[in-house]
Amino acid sequence: MSPFAVLVVDDEPGMRDTLAAILEYHGYRVALAADGETAFTAVQSESFDVVVMDVKMPGRDGVSVLQEMGDPPPQVILMTAYALEDRLRAAVDAKAFAIVHKPFETGRLLSLVCDASQASR
Amino acid sequence: MADEPVHAAAVDRPGRHWPLRMLSAVVLVVLGGAVVASCVTTQNVIRHQERLILQERTGEAAAVLGSAFAGVQDSLQLLGRIAGTGHGDPKLFARAARSVLGPGQGLLVTTQRGASMRVTATAGTAPAIGQAIPDAQAQLGRRALSTAGMVSGLAQQGARRWLYLALGGGAGPGTVVWWEAPLSQAITIEASPGSPFGYLDIAVYLSARPDPSTLVAATTKHLPLGGLQYPFRVGHDTWLLVTASTFPLVGSLVKDTPWIILVMGGLAVALIVTVVEAQGRKRDYAAAQVREKTASLQTAVAELQTAQAQLVRQEKLAAVGQLASTVGHELRNPLAVITNALYLLEVAAGENDMMRRHLATAKRETSAATLIVSELLDYSAGREPMLTPVQVADLVSEALSVVPPPAGVQVTGHSDPELFVTADRDQLRQALLNLITNGYEAMPDGGTLTVSATSAGDAAQITVTDTGLGMSDETRQNIFTPFFTAKARGIGLGLAVTKRVVEAHGGTITVESTPSAGSSFTITVPAAALASVAQ
Repeated sequence: MSPFAVLVVDDEPGMRDTLAAILEYHGYRVALAADGETAFTAVQSESFDVVVMDVKMPGRDGVSVLQEMGDPPPQVILMTAYALEDRLRAAVDAKAFAIVHKPFETGRLLSLVCDASQASR
Repeated sequence: MADEPVHAAAVDRPGRHWPLRMLSAVVLVVLGGAVVASCVTTQNVIRHQERLILQERTGEAAAVLGSAFAGVQDSLQLLGRIAGTGHGDPKLFARAARSVLGPGQGLLVTTQRGASMRVTATAGTAPAIGQAIPDAQAQLGRRALSTAGMVSGLAQQGARRWLYLALGGGAGPGTVVWWEAPLSQAITIEASPGSPFGYLDIAVYLSARPDPSTLVAATTKHLPLGGLQYPFRVGHDTWLLVTASTFPLVGSLVKDTPWIILVMGGLAVALIVTVVEAQGRKRDYAAAQVREKTASLQTAVAELQTAQAQLVRQEKLAAVGQLASTVGHELRNPLAVITNALYLLEVAAGENDMMRRHLATAKRETSAATLIVSELLDYSAGREPMLTPVQVADLVSEALSVVPPPAGVQVTGHSDPELFVTADRDQLRQALLNLITNGYEAMPDGGTLTVSATSAGDAAQITVTDTGLGMSDETRQNIFTPFFTAKARGIGLGLAVTKRVVEAHGGTITVESTPSAGSSFTITVPAAALASVAQ
């Protein structure tokens, strides 16, 4: 069985790199995107089991990408440093697998990614 | 200024309330005194004038009486001469006497014969010739013989009193010429209204004193008269005229002038005092209004200043909150990266104890930084409470389960399971969490944290008590001020957040503390929905 594919989307290089390293260490195949547009294109062209995506990014934000993902969409775990506005909260609750607030415990994120991976297949 | 009483006026002083102001009272006393003085002076002047006029009239009456009796003396002299030259012809005397006699009166001539006096000529009601006159009359006759000029006297003859006028030696040596008239029992003389002295009450006495036994005539029965006494001569004797006016001699209008002055003056004084008093009250009222308005203006200004200060403070706090929010959010990303990096380093460290120890320190400090960021964001994210019924006992146990007690700290207390409040569950839990965390941190050497929830009237009371370090008075007074902290760690927002949450629920928070003995925080939240929830 091929390893689970995870797309990490964050405009912060430090976050991208550390998350990639952690996930790869735990056996995931990791792809990276630095903004929403790139992430959207990547999801359209390639199949991912899980997308770990920041909400606030320059250009297209994480919620917008989540809302327009094709069918069947990958399991999306959103990361945010901000409180979500009420109108976005409903959409996120409907489509996202989970939402985590920065800073989060690494163990908790790993556990969520694991659960999401299982749910994707 | 604001502390000054609004009503400092005399009218509001407690104690005796005078019906008049001081000024009005002074005006009343001064003007009233002037009116009374004018009245008294006028009365004295009028009395004096009245007395002068009475004196004048009495003098005139006395002169009239005096001249009448002088006429009688002249008549007695003339008749004496007729009797003396007629050589005992009594008819000549009787004829002459008839012209001067009034009804009931008598004229006679007596001559001393030894011890007695006998009638030698007679006319009118007088005794017959040859008769001796009574002793009382004879006594007067002897006085007449020894006196130059007419003498007068009264004598009782049977049932009647007689007035005698006697002229000694009128008809020759040893003779006395008499005029006699009876005085009726009712000696009152009716004065005709048109007579010159019609407005006088007159009494005539045959003596220098108003002796009732010498009363000759009076125009009134009301004797003695309290008027003017005027002695006058009748022949050799002094008679007394006593007069009193029956009608004001100065005129009735003049007589009433003092009372007119008193009444009119009194009315004028009352009017003036009323005007002065009304003006005074008006002025006092206006002054009170001014004071009241000034006080309310001062209050308004003070309120405005307080509101302005509060606004400035709120604006400052809002700016601080904005800053806290921005900084807090911006710190979350680096903290997340550091957390991830520490995880990777921990993996890389393997069994290297020294590295693992330092990494543990880094992780602990990162957690502390994360907590500070959370506090900042909690403070800045103040929002209106979203109210739902909350079971207080449940809320307390949830809060206690979120932060387990550190080693050495016991948690105790009792919460009424029937106690409900209408509150924002998340906010109230955060408020409670802050108190619980503070309690734990106040007991570094262990102790007991007591969390109780009870009903207090129509409110719920949650009390968090620790047996820790306690606080100084200064710390206690500032404990709810944002960014004030007595702890080595923390930015001083926990209790500020708690207070804001409690007040947003219409509640209060109080603190009691004793240094080295512990602190007790009490949250009181109105349980307005308690009844509806219980139903």
